[in-house]
Amino acid sequence: MLEKKQLEHYLSECMKSEADFAEIYEELEHSEAIKALNGKTEDVNQVITAGIGIRLYKELESVYAYTNDTSEDSVISLIHDLRDALGSCDKDAAVNLQEVLYENRNPVEIDYESVSLEEKTELLKRANNAAFGTDPRIVKVQTELLNVKQEVQIANSEGRLIRDTRVRTRLMTTAFASENGNLQSGGDRPGAGMGLEFYRTVTPEESGREAARVALVNLAAKDCPSGKMPVIIDNGFGGVIFHEACGHSLEATSVARGMSVFSGKLGTKIAADCVSAVDDGTIPNAWGSQNIDDEGNFQKRRVLIENGILKSYMIDRLNGRRMNMDSTSSSRRESYRFEPTSRMTNTFILPGNDSFEELFEGIERGLYAKKMGGGSVNPQTGEFNFAVNEGYLIENGKISYPVRGASLIGNGAEILKSIDRVCSNLKTGQGMCGSLSGSIPTDVGQPTIRVSSITVGGTANE
Amino acid sequence: MNKQEWIKAALAAGFDQFEIYQSGTKERSYTWFEGKMDTFTASRVLGTSLRGICGGKMVNYATEDLSDDGMDRIIASMKEQAGAITSDEPGVIRSPLPVPETAPQRRWTTPTAAEVRELLADIEQRVLAYDERIFMVIREGWSEETGTRSIFNSLGMDLEDTDTVQILTCGAAAKDGNDIKNEYRSEIVEDIHTFDRDAFVEKLCTDVLNKLNASSMASGTYPVIFESGAMTALFTAFSSMFSGDLIAKGISPLRDQYGQPVFSGKITITDDPLRREAAQVCPFDDEGCPTSAKTIVDHGVFRTILHNTRSASRINAESTGNGFRGSYASPVEVSPMNCCIEPGDKTLKELCAEMQNGLVITTLAGLHAGINPVTTDFSLQCSGYWVKDGKRDHSVSLVTVAANFLEMMGNVTAVGSDLEWKQHSVVTPSIAFKGCAISGK
Repeated sequence: MLEKKQLEHYLSECMKSEADFAEIYEELEHSEAIKALNGKTEDVNQVITAGIGIRLYKELESVYAYTNDTSEDSVISLIHDLRDALGSCDKDAAVNLQEVLYENRNPVEIDYESVSLEEKTELLKRANNAAFGTDPRIVKVQTELLNVKQEVQIANSEGRLIRDTRVRTRLMTTAFASENGNLQSGGDRPGAGMGLEFYRTVTPEESGREAARVALVNLAAKDCPSGKMPVIIDNGFGGVIFHEACGHSLEATSVARGMSVFSGKLGTKIAADCVSAVDDGTIPNAWGSQNIDDEGNFQKRRVLIENGILKSYMIDRLNGRRMNMDSTSSSRRESYRFEPTSRMTNTFILPGNDSFEELFEGIERGLYAKKMGGGSVNPQTGEFNFAVNEGYLIENGKISYPVRGASLIGNGAEILKSIDRVCSNLKTGQGMCGSLSGSIPTDVGQPTIRVSSITVGGTANE
Repeated sequence: MNKQEWIKAALAAGFDQFEIYQSGTKERSYTWFEGKMDTFTASRVLGTSLRGICGGKMVNYATEDLSDDGMDRIIASMKEQAGAITSDEPGVIRSPLPVPETAPQRRWTTPTAAEVRELLADIEQRVLAYDERIFMVIREGWSEETGTRSIFNSLGMDLEDTDTVQILTCGAAAKDGNDIKNEYRSEIVEDIHTFDRDAFVEKLCTDVLNKLNASSMASGTYPVIFESGAMTALFTAFSSMFSGDLIAKGISPLRDQYGQPVFSGKITITDDPLRREAAQVCPFDDEGCPTSAKTIVDHGVFRTILHNTRSASRINAESTGNGFRGSYASPVEVSPMNCCIEPGDKTLKELCAEMQNGLVITTLAGLHAGINPVTTDFSLQCSGYWVKDGKRDHSVSLVTVAANFLEMMGNVTAVGSDLEWKQHSVVTPSIAFKGCAISGK
């Protein structure tokens, strides 16, 4: 990592330009992916990512450069490129950095780098054996353990120097079930912003069994019917509906340029009364948590929607300038290769008062989406889609039979108003969110909710 | 990095073979918003990936923090990896073979910063002036990137090639009442001075305006044409089915289908990394294996399984030169390169005329989640337009299309002639199918 004096020198060089703000983001990330098939370790991929990103602002204009050659010649040459793009000038631009210290909210007990590969492959074997032990129809099991340790330091021309270490671990199991030539898969992917102590609470056995269970359900599933119908979306990763239908459209990246369906809607009603939602980057050791955002500001809990009223956007520094609003500490990026922008952290709908059973009452024909896959949204139009990985048809208020191959589509602005029941059973699930500043870990979450009407895409001919 | 020293140290530490793969990129990009330069980005990045064979096992290590004094630590870590691998599969690092000569297929003219600014400003003005319903130009940008990759190994391989690409991207948002739609277009530009700005703007603006006033439609099974862009996206999402790696693992839908008819007889699929009209020409893959043209599916019959060195060695076959990395830090996977469904002889208009009544799908969303690569079932959000009596009628949005890809590819009614390579490495023309389940109202 660069020394404080070097950072001060580089920032001073940056400010000898028409820039009104300069920032250096430096990163050293170690990661390791261990993959096994049927319990045999096939690949270990260890990666060291190390580089810096330099950003200059002149009012609303931003110039950015990145490199992993951190020799002085290379860095100064990039700074010259940036100054040329923005306009150089000869001014006294001394920067004195003050390091900001704080208490780490995301402590790690077992650093993955201190554990032997043999012990880590044992975690994969445990998940593998549990999946195979579930049922003889489980014919293949893929497992992967991912460990990441990212150290960042962020320094800016306002004199702030701050560091953070982000650690995360994830176990991914995919089980394949086969019967009469029909091959189906099921997956489970728990993770946390923790070290390997995570697997004391969420055991590899649970994950292996869950992946096998979903594969077996899909083996018995029939094609999903299509059309508009009420849908119950289960807790945990079901929260991807809020992430896609609303979360992305509340990011300043879209809002600041008037490119979101929710631009200019602060203080107005955008969701049903029963919907309150937050984006909270402060939850200790959660998958999407950080001590600081990628502009060096302390992470926060942001109330986005309260009883259906839009209370806050997620704003980064540059878009804050565009919107005449303060940053909400929402700036994130995959790595030094990306200029940061407003992104989510751990985003979820808050618990309501309904019981799980009540949600099924009165549904003549609908869908119970127990496990969701990923999705995407067009923030400008609000149109979103996401996949159902485990679903059941509801008939006459009861779960009827499992269905496969379903997707849900709709318009974010409309769907938030169509949520008519919210349970109390809040749970989160882990995902990787892709957007302008790369792929980042985010938790999605919700209690079980009911949407009165949504378009279900399926293949059943009826 | 002293490559010879690294190889020497690895062999001395007990490695049988050792390989150094490097990928360097130099990039300059601009974005433009509301009449002004919005962002400028410059970068210079070098990534190194090391592979070694130790005790018969292949191990990987990728790093951007490459000082020769970290050499011993990294080699020791790679040795630990070899001890942890329990797969019986022997690792192979390739001996050098002659690679095909390739002449530069494009003549790049690098524009000055002022020329880029002029282009972006001009395109923005032209788009806004095209139609009063177009109210915003979004994500307009120019990027130019030069990439170099090299492979150096203990068996004497020493290969290097360089590739350049310049891309213009622009989006437009259009509004009619409360209905807002957007569309994006990107194109490779060899020379700003000869680039056809009118054609670019015309296509972008027509596409976004055509999306306005779209409605959903009644659920049912309808004849469908996947327009070239949508078909390319769908086919790309399923293109791993030809991978020798997934076939050997038994999780490709074509696992028992080699030599069998798998698609309609109207479908022929080729893979040719040397194809000159494609964006990138690769005379060797990321393992240094020379590449060549192959027919994967010949009139519906599955004729060639794609392999990298590892998947080929499982069945005592030869690599097909399809060992590519997603990035320098990713392991070598089996990937198609400049792969296409061979075009037919009918234009999209003629396909519509033949279909008479049905849906043309122009855009698909959610491909990263809404497909099952094992069963090939998919259910995806789509938009497009309804064809009535052989002609475009009204726009359609907020519907889903669902089918089983293998079954669908057996029910092809016609293959279009509109194949365009653009910047993709997998492309298809428009294709008409007998029927797909559409879910809407």
